[in-house]
Amino acid sequence: MTPHWPRLTALLIGLCLMGCGPSGLRPERSISSALQRSSDSRRWPSLGNRWLASIASRNGRERIELVDLRNGQPVPLPGINQSDSQPISVSVSGDGKRIALIRSRDGRTELMLYRRGVGVLQRLPVEPAGVPREVSLDGSGRLLAVQVSRKGLWDVDLIRLP
Amino acid sequence: MIVDQRGRPTVQLKDLRSGGRLPLRHLSRQQPHSSPSLSWNGRYLAVIIQRGNRRLVLIEDRLNGRAHPLRLPSGRSPVRLSLSPDGRQLAVQTADRGRWQVELLDLSELLEPDRRGGLRRSTPAEPQP
Repeated sequence: MTPHWPRLTALLIGLCLMGCGPSGLRPERSISSALQRSSDSRRWPSLGNRWLASIASRNGRERIELVDLRNGQPVPLPGINQSDSQPISVSVSGDGKRIALIRSRDGRTELMLYRRGVGVLQRLPVEPAGVPREVSLDGSGRLLAVQVSRKGLWDVDLIRLP
Repeated sequence: MIVDQRGRPTVQLKDLRSGGRLPLRHLSRQQPHSSPSLSWNGRYLAVIIQRGNRRLVLIEDRLNGRAHPLRLPSGRSPVRLSLSPDGRQLAVQTADRGRWQVELLDLSELLEPDRRGGLRRSTPAEPQP
């Protein structure tokens, strides 16, 4: 038995690595750590091809942030975060130029679209009327899926954007 | 999207052109499913599933039929996820000591990119020249 134990041990380790290890999955530790350091809490991630949008909490206040994943730095989003509104859901297009969001403001829940190139935040109508809860932009930023509550039931609305 | 299938939240994929439901080979069980996320051309569908008493991420490759079940290197449970449009990165919201956190994972050694415009790369049955 004794001469075989190193081979058996190697086999067991190999099997464990194949079966238990998340092979091919590499944590991006530097950016993940930077994200943790820069906020008290962070939720609702949405990935573009080099962009991460999320809702970050600092000192009890939540804000929408867009991080450039090439350098891990947030980019300015003038006008998207307002002192009287609370973000609920966020989604970014593949190129990072459009951000769709749902926010609560003055007791109302609003669906909004932010165009980063021009710094404009625009309210999108929900028709027929309903309460939007979750938003998802496709990679091109031209098609928006919105989960909407209407009369106690969930709907998914698709909105084509110009 | 997630639909209620006999009381079990289950992911469903629809073709927006035809309205038809597309088959998913690996996602008829292991409910509840949550937080579905698609790549550019719909080649990859990432979703959170339940396996035993664990929540984990499963990515179904609809081109070659493979499933990639992923346990997070941090050991935490996924709460919400987002797959990048090209399928090369995954962002996962987890909970750690009462705080929400976002972990970023590189999938480029695991998945071929799903490029805009639908450029098809190799599959195991169709090796690259």
